[in-house]
Amino acid sequence: MSTVALPARVASSSLASTDHKRIAGTACGVAFLFFLAGGLLALLMRSQLAADGGVVSQQTYNELFTMHGSTMVYLVIVPVALAVGIYFVPLQVGAAEIAGPRVTLAGLWLYVCGGVLMWSGFLTSSGAAAASWWGFDPLSESIHSPGSGMELWIFGVMLATLGQILWAGCVLLTALRARAPGMTLMRMPVFTWTMVVTSVMVVFGFPALLLALGLLWAQRHFGGVLVGGAGAVDYQALFWFYGHPVVYVMFFPFVGMVGEVLATFSSRRFFGYSAFVVALLAFAGLSMTVWAHHMFTLGVFSNKYFALTSTALIVPAGVEYFDFLATIWRGSLRFTVAFLFAVGFLVQFLVGGLTGIILASPPLDYGLNMSYFVVAHFHYTIFAGSAFGLFGGIYYWFPKITGVMLRERLGKLHFVLMVIGTNVTFFPMFILGSEGMTRRIARYPASTGWQGLNILETAGSVVIALSVLVFMLNVVVSLRHRRPAGDDPWGAHTLEWATSSPPPRHNFDALPPIRSYAPLLDLREGAEASG
Amino acid sequence: MPNTLHAYEHVQGIYLPIAVGVFALVVGTLVVLLVRGARRSRPGSRSQALVVEVSYACLLACVAGLLVWVTFTAETPIDRTVADPGLRLKVIAAQWSWRFIYPDGVSVADIDTWHPAPAYVPTGTEIEFAGTSEDVIHGFWIPALHYQRQFLPGYTTHFDLLFQKPGWYGGECSVLCGVNHSEMHFAVQAVSPQRFRAWLTEQHGHGDASS
Repeated sequence: MSTVALPARVASSSLASTDHKRIAGTACGVAFLFFLAGGLLALLMRSQLAADGGVVSQQTYNELFTMHGSTMVYLVIVPVALAVGIYFVPLQVGAAEIAGPRVTLAGLWLYVCGGVLMWSGFLTSSGAAAASWWGFDPLSESIHSPGSGMELWIFGVMLATLGQILWAGCVLLTALRARAPGMTLMRMPVFTWTMVVTSVMVVFGFPALLLALGLLWAQRHFGGVLVGGAGAVDYQALFWFYGHPVVYVMFFPFVGMVGEVLATFSSRRFFGYSAFVVALLAFAGLSMTVWAHHMFTLGVFSNKYFALTSTALIVPAGVEYFDFLATIWRGSLRFTVAFLFAVGFLVQFLVGGLTGIILASPPLDYGLNMSYFVVAHFHYTIFAGSAFGLFGGIYYWFPKITGVMLRERLGKLHFVLMVIGTNVTFFPMFILGSEGMTRRIARYPASTGWQGLNILETAGSVVIALSVLVFMLNVVVSLRHRRPAGDDPWGAHTLEWATSSPPPRHNFDALPPIRSYAPLLDLREGAEASG
Repeated sequence: MPNTLHAYEHVQGIYLPIAVGVFALVVGTLVVLLVRGARRSRPGSRSQALVVEVSYACLLACVAGLLVWVTFTAETPIDRTVADPGLRLKVIAAQWSWRFIYPDGVSVADIDTWHPAPAYVPTGTEIEFAGTSEDVIHGFWIPALHYQRQFLPGYTTHFDLLFQKPGWYGGECSVLCGVNHSEMHFAVQAVSPQRFRAWLTEQHGHGDASS
């Protein structure tokens, strides 16, 4: 085989295989590239704010945060959450294949095309989209945002979102229709349950975004669709009907990963399984009723209703935290890197969750909305929370996917750097936001005295970048100098560990009996009892 | 009297200590569990405690109920507009500056939005704001009063604000509104009612106070 043919062959097999594991692997690889690109934009923004202007123009700055947010939401966290589900839901329920493999592959193509379209805005003469990841009307209309960057953004987001809807449908059908004999609904692993509720939210919530963007496109070309104040409110309402479920799409799958990691490395069964499932379902149901808490300051909706539903979320969220802590309680703990990331998730997500309750109160939101307090809040949930859960999941499942172990010492360095970088970057934003720093500004008056904290945040973001480099080094070293993992290096509980690493094309040669949500733990306990 | 500053401080005074307390409780529990779990060789086997979880969920619901009650009682007065405010002020936002229009035609507009000319208001009385936008959505935010509202094109938003203390109140646009969003500042100067009347008369002498 010639050297030219090899990359082409790899590319064609990555983009043409209908094996759910290959589709998910390609999706995660592409998402990681977008993660690095979105991270570079963030570093540029941080340089601008540390210097208080002068690094990029205001127009470029608007493009930077628009593309940073759009990339991280539409092209990184949501696709990765679904891709991990595409990989592991069939394995966890004992299926040989995902439901709708070709539809899943079509989803991958849509996602990749959407991402490339969105980013190609940077190549146009008018630059990339600059109307934030919300694309709020009327700012996103053709008079205020002329040029093809905005058009490419609209189509990019629509394609990626359509792909995600297809993915969610396939994951949902796999869990509902393709389970192995004995795998009842109430024996599905915690991660699979989180993917089920995630997929339901995607299927119900995401079409609203397609509708909003379709209307926006029609408004840009024909007008008369989103008119005046009512049009602006309509777009926001449709956007947030997608936008609130999506923040839990960026949360639940990582809750599931953390649950699996905590149970495995506490060496005991996940605590409170049935309460957890009920809490998840309640959470997902409530999540469809809270969207207008993003619009308290519009004053056109019933703020009290949305404050009530949003505050009620503390009940299911509190039950989930209880189950996490109770799983660790009386566990025999193993402090692996995956476990450390899961614990990091527990502590840091809590900061994001508690500040979310503060923002759910209109009298407080009137004072904090659109400020850096909000920026700090959602970075604590999505980065300090979900990204930590994701890295926990990566360190946990990497041996299963590749057949080799990641280095634990490099992993611990990655963890420590990321904890420091994350908190130094995002915690000062709570202070700046309370003092009146608006989000999405490229400069601030020198008299405010905000530059010191901004420089500190920028230093923190450099530490985050370093931690990501350490992670990449870890992956390269581990793949080059291979330490074979075996089928089940961790003594885990769920079915994906009952097959080879990596699993064969058809996933399983034979399945163990399934009598609970932890079949492999059942086997070990049975062997102990009889031997 | 609708006092946004007071409402914010009242609600925050209840929410923030609870948040800090919950954080300390969870992290403290976690640390104890981690230290004890690191030394344990055989894990416990109990995996269900439904009665405990249901009672705990009820406790959480009570906490949620308390928080919602605090929020509702604080929100009702600041969402209301009074029938006879001490002053009615029109605010027009447009890319990328603000114009304040007084009942008798006096107006204050900002040209240099880094150093905006202040709009004067009297202290100790409700001021009804009627805000609108001429182009895209703008956010009218006065951080010191902990209050903001979105201004929509073709729609007038009404709200009352109270400036209890005299002084200079900085304001800024909080909703992304295009290329110069960072620079869209305004300022309000709160003075005693007597000084306010004197200032207004003086502005009449100048015809239009546009700077």
